[in-house]
Amino acid sequence: MRKEIQRIQELMEAADYVTDAPVATSVHLATILRKPLLIEGHAGVGKTEVAKVMARMLGATLIRLQCYEGLDAAMALYEWNYQKQLLHIKLEEGSGRPTEQKEAAIFSEPFLLKRPLLQAITQETSPVLLVDEIDRSDEEFEAFLLEIFSEWQITIPEIGTIKAAHPPHVILTSNRNRELSDALRRRCLYLWVDYPSFEKEVRIVERKVPGVNARLAREIARFMESLRAVRLSKVPGVAETLDWARALTALHADHLDAELVAETLGCVLKDADDVKRFRAEVASAGIGKFIPVEG
Amino acid sequence: MADRDLQGAVVRFAGLLRRHGLPVTLVEVTDAARALGHLDLSDRNEVFLGLRAVLVSRVEEIPTFERCFNAFWRAARADDPVLRGLVAPPDDRGPEPAPVETPTVAGQRREGVALETWMADEEGDSAGEPLGVPSVSDRDALTTQDFSTFTAEQLDEIARLTIQLARRLARRASRRRRPAKRRGLVDLRRTFRANLTRGEIIDLRRRRRKQKKVRLVLLCDVSGSMDLYSRFLLQFLYALQNVFGRVETFTFATRLTRVTEHLRGRPYRQVLRRLTDVRDWSGGTRIGASLAEFNRQWGHLLDRRTIVIVLSDGWDTGDVDVLATELLRIRRRAARLIWLNPLLGNPSYEPLTRGMAAALPFLDWFAAAHNLESLRALAGALRL
Repeated sequence: MRKEIQRIQELMEAADYVTDAPVATSVHLATILRKPLLIEGHAGVGKTEVAKVMARMLGATLIRLQCYEGLDAAMALYEWNYQKQLLHIKLEEGSGRPTEQKEAAIFSEPFLLKRPLLQAITQETSPVLLVDEIDRSDEEFEAFLLEIFSEWQITIPEIGTIKAAHPPHVILTSNRNRELSDALRRRCLYLWVDYPSFEKEVRIVERKVPGVNARLAREIARFMESLRAVRLSKVPGVAETLDWARALTALHADHLDAELVAETLGCVLKDADDVKRFRAEVASAGIGKFIPVEG
Repeated sequence: MADRDLQGAVVRFAGLLRRHGLPVTLVEVTDAARALGHLDLSDRNEVFLGLRAVLVSRVEEIPTFERCFNAFWRAARADDPVLRGLVAPPDDRGPEPAPVETPTVAGQRREGVALETWMADEEGDSAGEPLGVPSVSDRDALTTQDFSTFTAEQLDEIARLTIQLARRLARRASRRRRPAKRRGLVDLRRTFRANLTRGEIIDLRRRRRKQKKVRLVLLCDVSGSMDLYSRFLLQFLYALQNVFGRVETFTFATRLTRVTEHLRGRPYRQVLRRLTDVRDWSGGTRIGASLAEFNRQWGHLLDRRTIVIVLSDGWDTGDVDVLATELLRIRRRAARLIWLNPLLGNPSYEPLTRGMAAALPFLDWFAAAHNLESLRALAGALRL
């Protein structure tokens, strides 16, 4: 294994992120090849975490662009602070300055509201730009992003063209609510984050939930592994595992039993049909499929 | 190992991936070669993960990539610091597409021709529809006739009319998307610009949210007699596709198959063969199980702007309860659930099959799709 990749793993672990070779290798190549990294995976498997940890690792600023339906270029790039501009014009009304001067004044940097993309290209050092849940944005916005990624420069008519001196490291995440365009996919390195393995999940619980009982951590991970094999409509992610582990730890539990599971199932299953399906599974296969049974 | 050998190997590996359906670009090949320079070549797993990050771009490609990788990059010997096993396997050719068979039934062949020219037709028409082309309404007799009753020669003509009708509907939809002047939010940016010289805000500029495009998910029954209708519906909706945000297409008989990728920019002979491949004559139709598979694997495609269209005669040889459960699940997540049943075009038909009866309570729209006229009505249901 390359020393750099090993170092990334160590740094990530030091930043409280339980990692593995695929994540570390992708992050390594993304920083070396300076390409955006597209991370896909089910909800709650820690995709966003990768960007946060990467920023901490590189000692870079994290700039986050949260995508949503209807997000457009203006909201992602910059807007003029109209209220401030209006106020300025009112204040200047009696000053007798020529119109050109007034106009130049209000279309200058102090009146510019920098949105995440403009922020990302005007940093002193390369920041980490997290484009979160890109699948929620529209196709048009995706095309616009592609354009930005290829040039790293933005033209503001009133000010001029701003080119990034230090292009950001880019992480994009997607829950696959919408299929992304091939053009975008081809531009990015790709990482699929699956649900963690048993061992990894135990490590995550132990790392993230202080004071968790070691036996409980293993039983929780085993339970989640079996639960994800049941056909559910909302398969619980790591976020659910951690919620549950915290709840159980707060209840001073040191192992799982049928009663405890029934009482706290709401932390893990959040769909009425799934709860029914789980009960049916327990009725047919027995609770022993999910938790160790005494004797 | 010389750099050149390594680069050559990467190029050949990319070729192997392409033959197995991964659309690897030149940029990715270059990146892959660069990536190898930053990976530990004696660590096979690291090379695998690194190349995967560069050359794969969706999770569905991972199994193929893994197979190709294992076939191409043989494991290095433990004592060898450099990958020695850089040899192409004896046969790295994927199964090349077999030559197209000419179906013996005349009707099928003619229909094939019609579908195949559809793509070429699309391009040829971009300059605008010549005025001399007879409009669909001139052919009333044809528009109300059931697709299955056409002769082989007529199918060709009717396929052309289908596309024409779709184009006309698409144009109408685009004209309609004009913003209203008095409604919507105040657009500060443009308002401010317009009133700059006055010092007061007199003239308000407004903006309206751009009309959102509807997305479609098609689930087409390709068993037995449904096949012909499925092809007409596909033809119609694909000619309309720039009106929609996205069209996802699945076919089913006993199993569900996603064909979206196969319908995109391919010669239509291949598409037809693909549709025929997934047909399963013997097993009957398991609609419920197919929908369950859809929900499990592709449920993430549904949202409040997605319309789901099922085209089937409702003959389900599987469990009817499963069908009801799965339809309810789709209905909850999608904007609208439409069921098209070509048999409904027959005046004496009543939806009495167990599958159809179980489905009815969950449908927003239940209609035929057996002739041009009914396709036109469908466009209305899609709010075009």
